[in-house]
Parts: sequence; structure tokens; C-alpha cells
Amino acid sequence: MQFWALVRDSFRESLDRKIFWVMLFVSLVVAGAMFCISFEPHEISVLFGTWVIKTDVLTVGDRLRKDFIALIVVDGIMDTMLGWVGVILSLIATAGFFPSLMRRGTVDVMLSKPIARWQLFLGKYFGSMAFVAVHATIFVVLTFLVCGIRWGVWLPGYLLSIPLIVILFSYLYCISVLVAIPTRSSVAAVLVTLGAWVCFAGIQVTDDQFASSPSWQQYRSAYAVSRVARWIVPKTSDITLKAKQWARAASSSDLIVQQDFDSDGSVDRAMKIERRRMAIPAVYTIGSSLVFETVVVLIAIRLFSRRDY
Amino acid sequence: MVGVTEMTNWAVDLIDVRKTYGRSVHALRGVNIQVGAGEIFGLLGPNGAGKTTLVKIMMTVVRPTRAHGTILGRPIGHRGKLAVTGYLPESHRFPGYLSGGQLLEYYASLAKVPRELRRKRAPQLLDRVGLSRWSNTRIDKYSKGMLQRLGIAQALMNDPELVVLDEPTDGLDPVGRRDVRELLLELRSQGKTIFLNSHLLSELEMVCDRVTILVDGLVARQGTLRELTDHTVEYKIVFNGEVASVREKLVAMGIKLEPGVATITGHNLAQVNEAIDLLRGNGIVIESVSPHRFSLEDILVEAMGVDAKAGGDHSAMIQPASP
Repeated sequence: MQFWALVRDSFRESLDRKIFWVMLFVSLVVAGAMFCISFEPHEISVLFGTWVIKTDVLTVGDRLRKDFIALIVVDGIMDTMLGWVGVILSLIATAGFFPSLMRRGTVDVMLSKPIARWQLFLGKYFGSMAFVAVHATIFVVLTFLVCGIRWGVWLPGYLLSIPLIVILFSYLYCISVLVAIPTRSSVAAVLVTLGAWVCFAGIQVTDDQFASSPSWQQYRSAYAVSRVARWIVPKTSDITLKAKQWARAASSSDLIVQQDFDSDGSVDRAMKIERRRMAIPAVYTIGSSLVFETVVVLIAIRLFSRRDY
Repeated sequence: MVGVTEMTNWAVDLIDVRKTYGRSVHALRGVNIQVGAGEIFGLLGPNGAGKTTLVKIMMTVVRPTRAHGTILGRPIGHRGKLAVTGYLPESHRFPGYLSGGQLLEYYASLAKVPRELRRKRAPQLLDRVGLSRWSNTRIDKYSKGMLQRLGIAQALMNDPELVVLDEPTDGLDPVGRRDVRELLLELRSQGKTIFLNSHLLSELEMVCDRVTILVDGLVARQGTLRELTDHTVEYKIVFNGEVASVREKLVAMGIKLEPGVATITGHNLAQVNEAIDLLRGNGIVIESVSPHRFSLEDILVEAMGVDAKAGGDHSAMIQPASP
């Protein structure tokens, strides 16, 4: 009863914030924009024929056409709009939940109720997840339906991006909450979280570069450090890659990844990195990142529970 | 550290409650307070005395440095007993996106009140505090007085045994303050224990059975209003006439003489009657005889004054009695 009351209250709080409606508007705009585009034989039509791009690359029924559309949805819409824009907006939208809970006059009443502080914390924490889950669901379902009904390409694996995006968000949100509790500042929470996200990506990129380098043994110590660091931090880039991998599973767009358009070493190395990352089991990617999140959340709960208000 | 004492008949039994912030800020320096079940208890003191800190310790909002005692028979900090405790903090801030009815529902859920009872009590309490017309209105549209009434309603949603109110009449007009006083008396008649923290001394005088005066983190005075003011009783005899012939005798009795007024300190009716007889025997007309006691404000100032002499520094303003 108490837990659901907290989750429901978090959702009501998010409805009251303008950013909730901004995110909903963005979802509708993206789905609407997709709906205005169609892939016809020998042409791409924009705004119901207002602009027409002639092309012989795409032909109805051609597998290449479906793979091209899958690429747009997975790399363009899912990766960019959901994985980047959506997560950033969600972090901004939820950054204020804990500072507002901890305001003098608000927290006094909450703590005077027969609910343990850790329960109060988790109620608010999962309330934020519910907010993100709702938005992710709206966005993914809308774009999935448009892709299927309007473009004729159904990507059932794309629906798996909903839980993955929520998980990705949670890896970053735990840092936002950890910063928000001692600072009571939503701005500080957002800035530090975005900075941490950049660091996580940087660690993964560094590790990938070392792993794919033919001369990695010259940097054995640095490589070892990057390996350990990569295990510790949440694998935000890998989560996005897994979502793309599963979304493509219903199409044969892997063909695009495997084609060598030139024999330049940089393309080979990039594909080597991507294959290596795609081969990492999802259990490892998600599980080890959850360990990080669990530790951070436990620290945040302790900070929240031990302080005076 | 919180310790467990023997079970007592006190609703609130605080023993040696201490709170130190950092290393040098001693907000509470060993407070001992007992509140009987079913009484209205007042906590007063100057700004910075530690009143709010003490209340927050009772409600587990602040952790004490050390505290022994019980609240409703359980150790201080026992979370289970919060289910039968109602609390309205000073400067409360309620979520503006909720309506009055939703707020009561929400806080009652957190207090583990079953759904059927929540739905029954919310409209009753809103009606009791005069907000039934605004139950579906967003709280951010409420006035300060309305918010205060709503706060009192939320403190009662779980039908508490102990009600802790920090400045309950803050922001209320005189009619509102009267309504709150009547509500408190009604709650007491139902057997509830009320713990009030207020700067409005006149309000406390009207409702409290017992009070504690906190000064600089310590209890300066504690008891019923009568016990606190007994030593301050004096009788004023207002008269009309020339007292030159009896002045020496009256002064020798220890009576203070001013033009038209003779003041006898202490609860000594024999001396009062002797003075009256003396005045009347010399043809002086007695206009009135009335007892006076210190008000709560006077007691508070006296307590602060005594503490100042002991080394405290109390330059804080005290809320004057309302008209």
C-alpha cells in the first residue's frame, strides 16, 4: 500500500511537470513525422507526396528495403531519439524528485509516517522508473506501429528496447540520486550524471581501442586498468548496442554490418570492435552494470537514511 | 543512543534527550519531559530553545545524540507507533499538484490506514476543518489558512492517539484559531493526547493542561499553569481615599502602596482581609479587590531572565499575546 502510494505520487508529480508533456509531444512528433514518410517503389515520399526523392535502391519486397528501414528505426530513431534524447530528457525530468522530497516541510511529514526511510527512498526511486517506462512504452509502441502499418516492416525485437532503455536510464539515475541527496540540487545531479555518462562511454571506447589494437601488448598496464574500469562502470554503450542487436534480429540488417565497402583498416577495426561488443553476453552486460547500480543505490539509501532533516 | 525505560503511564516520557549538531551546537542538553495521556501539553520557549528539534526527535525526523524514554509505551524512534501518531510540522509544504482530498488519501496510505477508512474519514475531516468545498481543488490554489487547516486534517487521518502540532494556528485568523482551540478540546475529550508547540502564549493558556518552558536546550519550568504561576499571585485593592493615616501600618505589613492601589504579594487571604479592614476602618472606600497571576508570557520572560543571569543570551523576540 505504502509503496504503491509513493509510486503513484511520483507519477502524479511527473504529470505536473511540463517536461512530461514535452516528452509526450516529442514522441507524437517523431511518430507523426514517420507517418508522413512512405517508401514507394522507386521513390521516397515525404509529407504525402509533397516532396519525392526518386531512387532505384529501394524496391517493394526487396530485402534491402526492409533492412534500410530497420536501419532508420534502430540507428536513427531508437539509438538517437530514445537512447540519447529520451534518456537525457528523462534525467532532467526526474532530477528534481529527490530534492523536492527532501525539502523542509515536506520531508518532515513523510518521515513522521510509519514507513522506513529505505522504503521511502525505493518508492520514490521506482516511481521515477515508472515515469520513464511509460514514456519509453509510448514512444516505442507508436514508432513500432507506424513502422509496421505505414512502412510494412514489423520489428518485434524493437519492443525489447523498452525494458533496456529503462535499465539504461536506471544506471544513470542512480548517480543522479546519489548526487541529489547531499546537494539537494537537481542541476548538480543532472550535470554530474551527464559527466559520468561521458566518462563511462570514454572508458568503454578506450577499452575497445586497446582490445582491437594489434600492438596492445605495448600498453599492457593501461589495458588492464581499462578492463577493470570497464567491468566496474555501467556498460551504457553496450546496452544500447544490445537493444539495436535485438531490434535487428527480425531483419537481416546484420548484412549491412558485415559488408566491407572498402578494405581500409579503420573499417575492419571498427567492425572488429562492434563484433566483439555484440558477442558479449547480455547477462554479463546487464548483470555487471546492475552490480554497480546496486552499490550506488545502497550508498544513496544510507546517505538518505542517516541524515537529519 | 536510544534506550528503553520501564513502561510508564505517560503518553510521552522523554528522559535525558540530547542533540548536538557537529561538535559545538548543543540544541538539546538533557531534556526531561512527561506528558500525561489525554492531556493537552504545551511546549514553549524563545527562538533557538530547541523546541522544534525536540519535536522532530519525537517524530524520528531528527536522530538524537542520546535519548531515553518512551512515546506511547514504546522506545523513542519506534516506527510502529508512528501509525497512531499525527504530526503537523511548522512551515509544512504539501505537494501543490494534489487536491485536498488526494493529499489526505496519500498521507493516510503512508500511515497504513485501510482504504475504506480513508474514504470515510477524508470527507469528514475536510468538513470538520471547513474545507469540504475545496476537496477537489489543487493545493497550490489554497490560502495559507486553508493549508494550515488541511495540515491539521492530515494529522488526524489515522485517528491518532498522540497528536503533535507545531504552530497549529500559524496563518489562521481569530475565527480559525478559535476553531482550532475547539478542535483540540474535542480531541482531548476523546482521550487523545495533544502535544503543542507554539509561540502564541495566549492560545496555550486557553487550552493547555500542562506546559514546559524550554530555554537554551534545557527545561526551565514544567507543570500546570497554576503550579507555574502560584508563586506570582498578588491581590490588588483599588481604593478611593487618603491613606496617610494608615500608610505606615500597611507598609509594615509588606504591602506595596501606589496612588489608589494597594498590592499584596502572595496567596495570603488573611493579610488581604486585614488590609481591607484597615482601609475601611479609616473611612477609605474600597472600589475593587482582584487577584492577579503572571501570564504565561510573564513566566516565560521570568524563565529567560533567570537563565540570562545564569549565563544565557536571549535576545530573541517573544510573540506578544494576541488581542
